[in-house]
Amino acid sequence: MTVDSAFALQGLVKTFDGKVAVDGVDLAVPAGSFFGLLGPNGAGKTTTLSMAVGLLRPDAGRALVLGHDVWHDPVRAKSLIGVMPDGVRLFDRLDGTELLTYQGLLRGMAPEVIDARVTELLDVLALTDAGRTLVVDYSAGMKKKIALACALLHAPRLLVLDEPFEAVDPVSGATIRDILTRYVAGGGTVIFSSHVLEVVERLCSHVAIMAAGRIRTVGTLDEVRGQRTLEEAFVEVVGGRTATGAELSWL
Amino acid sequence: MALTFARLKLRVLRNGFRGRSTKVVMFVLGLVGAVVYGGFAALAAAAAVASDSPAAAALVPAFGGAALVLGWLFLPLVWFGVDETLEPGRFALLPLPRRDLVRGLLVAALLGVPAAATLLASSGLAIGAALRGGPLPGLVAALGVLLGLLLCVVLSRAVTSAFSRALRARRTRDLAAVLLAVLAASLGPIQLMITNSAQHVGTGRLVAVADVLGWTPLAAPYVVGVDALDGRWAAAGARLALTVLTILLLMWWWAGSLESAMLAAPGGGGAVRTRAASGTPVARFLGARRPRTQYGALVARELKYWGRDVRRRASLITFAVIAVFLPVVTNLGSQGGQGAVAQNVHGFSMVIVGALAGLGIANQFGYDGTAYAAHVVTGVPGRIELRARVVAYSWIIVPILAALAVLNAVLREDLSLLPVMAGTLFAAYGTGLACATHVSVWAAYALPENQNPFAVNTGSGMVKSLLAMAAWLAGMVLALPVLLLVLFGGAVGAALALPAGLAYAVAAVWLGVVTAGDVLDHRQPELLAAITPRN
Repeated sequence: MTVDSAFALQGLVKTFDGKVAVDGVDLAVPAGSFFGLLGPNGAGKTTTLSMAVGLLRPDAGRALVLGHDVWHDPVRAKSLIGVMPDGVRLFDRLDGTELLTYQGLLRGMAPEVIDARVTELLDVLALTDAGRTLVVDYSAGMKKKIALACALLHAPRLLVLDEPFEAVDPVSGATIRDILTRYVAGGGTVIFSSHVLEVVERLCSHVAIMAAGRIRTVGTLDEVRGQRTLEEAFVEVVGGRTATGAELSWL
Repeated sequence: MALTFARLKLRVLRNGFRGRSTKVVMFVLGLVGAVVYGGFAALAAAAAVASDSPAAAALVPAFGGAALVLGWLFLPLVWFGVDETLEPGRFALLPLPRRDLVRGLLVAALLGVPAAATLLASSGLAIGAALRGGPLPGLVAALGVLLGLLLCVVLSRAVTSAFSRALRARRTRDLAAVLLAVLAASLGPIQLMITNSAQHVGTGRLVAVADVLGWTPLAAPYVVGVDALDGRWAAAGARLALTVLTILLLMWWWAGSLESAMLAAPGGGGAVRTRAASGTPVARFLGARRPRTQYGALVARELKYWGRDVRRRASLITFAVIAVFLPVVTNLGSQGGQGAVAQNVHGFSMVIVGALAGLGIANQFGYDGTAYAAHVVTGVPGRIELRARVVAYSWIIVPILAALAVLNAVLREDLSLLPVMAGTLFAAYGTGLACATHVSVWAAYALPENQNPFAVNTGSGMVKSLLAMAAWLAGMVLALPVLLLVLFGGAVGAALALPAGLAYAVAAVWLGVVTAGDVLDHRQPELLAAITPRN
């Protein structure tokens, strides 16, 4: 294990009902990198990230956070990462302030620190206006933002975000991008999954492309895309049909 | 159109079983149970109608039918839940006339084990009528049986749908709760009246009661066979018309609440706001005295959830209703009894209710659904998690139980019984909690993420009932030492009942939380997978 990997996945495998979802994923995320995990729907991105943060038990393989094994030393490892899972509900019968406070207390943070950070986070993410509305009544974009705030609250060294830009409007998206860029500039490491290639191209220093449960390409952004655009590189790596124009003529 | 719904329901059922052997086993067990009980009931009904005793022919269809209809009315609310395999909200975008939708959903609801068991049981009435009077009365009775089944199914759908709507809305939820409580509590006096009259006034009065019942929708469809046998064709026709009218009214009511269920945003409960409170975020969340720790946060969140989550509210209300109803009936009913057992019926009823109270947390993680992922990601220790949940639940339940003990002691007109009752009650609550804690860790199941707090996924109604039964039984058995102390301990036992019961309860809960907590530490991801709904 080299020290400059903030996050290392080694040989992760997961099979659901005989169907292989993740087929041996190895990944080393350098400390201080802004890492984009790309892949088409069903490539196994969410499954991989879930196994990496302790939400889903892998059939084989290891996940190391700054040298701590997520499955053997969970307490230490989990305290170092902030996670924003996708397709998972929040404790949405709380309002925004309550949810963040709850998250902070679960993380064992000091009350004064929680008070200060909760107010500031809600302010920066423009969620203060929501006031005492329950999170269940938030819009999709607001839910993403409050979930991000939950992941950021304890100032982790590593952020694992599953689809952070999905269903987010441009203004909120810009806010999230700003926060994440500043976080990386301050020495943090971010890995996030996405299929919004423009965002990845704009933000990421490193990129990995996943398809059918395996990592197909990995490297710095320039290594992966070479002389092409990222989109061309993506389509070439993943493979897929291109429209000929003849089908769907009845539309 | 109705046929399409039927095929859809069967297809969803079959796909739900794919690759899940436990589910199939549970389903088959349920089926066997339904056939056995339904078959016995059918035999009894046929024998009663075909017999020469006019009393039996008058009583069995009326009371049996009324029991059946009332069962369909209450059991889904208090115990089984409704199988919303075809959730109405999913059809919101399809261009379906409301009439077709209601008809389709009704057909889908008819395809199930409970409906089949009901049909089997009540078919005895038609068989009996045919045996005694030939094909024509048999045919009339069969028509009654079919209409009766339709009535049962429509009634249960309409009522659960209306209740879930009322429980969702803040404004009406308390009203709905009270209504449910009154309805269920009123069953007690009725049952009492019947048993008392059976004992004291003989069959003559009972036949009169049956006669009245026969003219209400409760029993009307089930007594037409006897009418036909006796040649009262006009009465039979009137009763059938009454049944049809009731069914139509119920369908109209159901359609109305369906519409609102389809329009409501999934998962939402209207723009609800938390109450305004001053202070910093932590002070506001925890209040003044709760410790500023993981444990304090968990307790505070659980308490908020028991108040804000519709499902949890529904389960609390249901428990409160049963808890008041059950011991009150046994205590009132057993006053004339003799002997040690009859004298101590209250002890048994306390054990039953106490253990039942513990069951409230048997699927506590299922209530949270995927939100539980936040605890997995933070790595909340199992013992702390379970201790907080048990304590928060007890903050709500223990006052109810204490009030219950007082109420029953007052009803027995003997306040010296209070420590005995409270002792057994809390002992059973403790053992019930301990069992339910383990069930919640080992056998959690996903609840559908929709609006109806009574909805369960296909097949899990059965699983739910069996597991809950097992935990309930285990809780009662484990509480036996305290009950035995009370029963055979004489004056010493009575004096020791309360402290011994409390100590026993605390010990049981501590043991349950510690053992289940250690299990939970190793099962967090599996538990999360178990409570994640498969879409």
